[in-house]
Amino acid sequence: MSLLRLEDVEKSYGHEEVLHGVGFEMDTQDVEVIVGPSGSGKSTLLRCVNRLTEIDGGSIFLDGEDIHAMDENDLRRRVGMVFQDFNLFAHRTAVGNVTLGLTEVLDLPSAEAYDRAMEYLDRVGLAEQADSYPAELSGGQKQRVGIARSLAMDPELILFDEPTSALDPELIGEVLGVMNDLADEGMTMLCVTHEMGFARSAATTLTFLDDGQIVERGPPEQLFDDPEHDRTREFLGDLTEIH
Amino acid sequence: MSTDQTQPAAVGDLPGRRRLAVVTVGVVFWTWLSLRWAYHNTILDAVATALGFPDLIRSETAVLAREPWLPTAPFANAAETLTAVGADLGPLGLLAEWLAWPFELTAFAIEGGPAMAAGAFITVYLTLASMVLGLAIAVPLSVARVYGGRIVGTVSLAYTELIRGTPLLAQLFLLYYGLPLAAEIEGVGFVGEGAVPRAAVFVAIVGFTINSSAYQAEYIRGALQSVDSGQLVAARSIGLSKAAGIRHVVLPQGLRYAIPGWTNEFVYLIKYSSLAAFITVPELFRQARIIAADSFRVTDTYVVVAVLYLALVLTTALAMDRLEAAVAIPGLGPADER
Repeated sequence: MSLLRLEDVEKSYGHEEVLHGVGFEMDTQDVEVIVGPSGSGKSTLLRCVNRLTEIDGGSIFLDGEDIHAMDENDLRRRVGMVFQDFNLFAHRTAVGNVTLGLTEVLDLPSAEAYDRAMEYLDRVGLAEQADSYPAELSGGQKQRVGIARSLAMDPELILFDEPTSALDPELIGEVLGVMNDLADEGMTMLCVTHEMGFARSAATTLTFLDDGQIVERGPPEQLFDDPEHDRTREFLGDLTEIH
Repeated sequence: MSTDQTQPAAVGDLPGRRRLAVVTVGVVFWTWLSLRWAYHNTILDAVATALGFPDLIRSETAVLAREPWLPTAPFANAAETLTAVGADLGPLGLLAEWLAWPFELTAFAIEGGPAMAAGAFITVYLTLASMVLGLAIAVPLSVARVYGGRIVGTVSLAYTELIRGTPLLAQLFLLYYGLPLAAEIEGVGFVGEGAVPRAAVFVAIVGFTINSSAYQAEYIRGALQSVDSGQLVAARSIGLSKAAGIRHVVLPQGLRYAIPGWTNEFVYLIKYSSLAAFITVPELFRQARIIAADSFRVTDTYVVVAVLYLALVLTTALAMDRLEAAVAIPGLGPADER
């Protein structure tokens, strides 16, 4: 059974239809990369999966369970999210950012939460910055804390919403490095990103979304080298040139 | 950032020497106020008497009969001498009279000091209690306003606008004369006995708490709205409920942003607590009215009272600056460019 299944997902904001009839499946340990032009509905799609946005039609299943039948907080504990602009808790240190979910959602005792948080910060290479506040970290460090914060909750799936788009070019590498490691370790990841290098090397499946619909979906090498649609070729060609 | 080159934004930002002056005045003022309080405190009197010092604390002395600790004679004599000299100088005498005034005022302040201290002490705890209780109401009010949805938000808005939109004095009169609140409180056994203040004081605290909560809620609402919306989204995305997200993520940031506005309300309340005088609370302003009526020295009385209020306000502002610095977090709030 697939870990995540979307069926005919519909979403509109007022009169503007953002997603019409999006459906796909992901297995555990899959790395799904979604690309598409601005306004194509990529971020909305991600936010539907952890119900930060509610869908208007269709269904989404996590491990066979309809996510709309689940408690939204339980769902979000199982599905992590990494944001484009990091959204680190500004009043908490790096380690404090990671421990909040552990103590308040997973109800770990604070000493245990601290140890676990340090373990995950170490994993993203930031053990030494544990006591720094977000304002004292670089963009790349902030995003790595964001990943550690999500990872420490031990989610079944992590959503990455353009995790490198707000970063200076020289800082993108450290974040992609962490993401590549995660992919290698078998983390299930659903990523919206324009990093074509990452898509080529780490993605199991690449999806091209345009105008709220899946235009083409398949193994990355197929979409890059021999796409069925001209639109896919054009878009990926442009992206590869830039990135 | 506070450097000597920039304009001071608050008392705490003043450059070294000037701040030292404010701190010194504050220390002298509070030492005097605390010692005055202790000298006439019933409980301390009982303790001292039990320990064998029955005359150490004078709690039985009526407020207006309390003796000052400094002699008034030297200042009064100096003023008299200057006035006498002035009388012989013809037109220049006016100058001598002006010079005499500060001495007269000092003697007058020393004489009225004990009563004013008793009043100032009530002003202090009236304000403190109302600020703290008001905060306890203002936080849920502001959260309701920002996150409560339409119905709860509207109820909070209605409360805020009703309280802010009507005169505080009318609210106090309604509570004190219109409602049986004072009689109810008076009915409680220990009220008005020993160190426990009279019912009017409690009514004043209720009134100021309600009034201040509305203003505080507005300051805090503004602060909560300035917390980046992504903060709550992030909290929710790791599985925190909305309430937990507000409590653990939004409030710790929002309340820090609210400190400057909250200080403003604190400083206002110190001064508008003087309205308690009109419902018979013997706080600083009421003591001043009594002294002015007794002495017919209206200008002198209110100059001294103004100085005492100023001392309260400046030390409060300084303390709040300290608080703000103590809870500051890098990158959060106005101390740093965000």
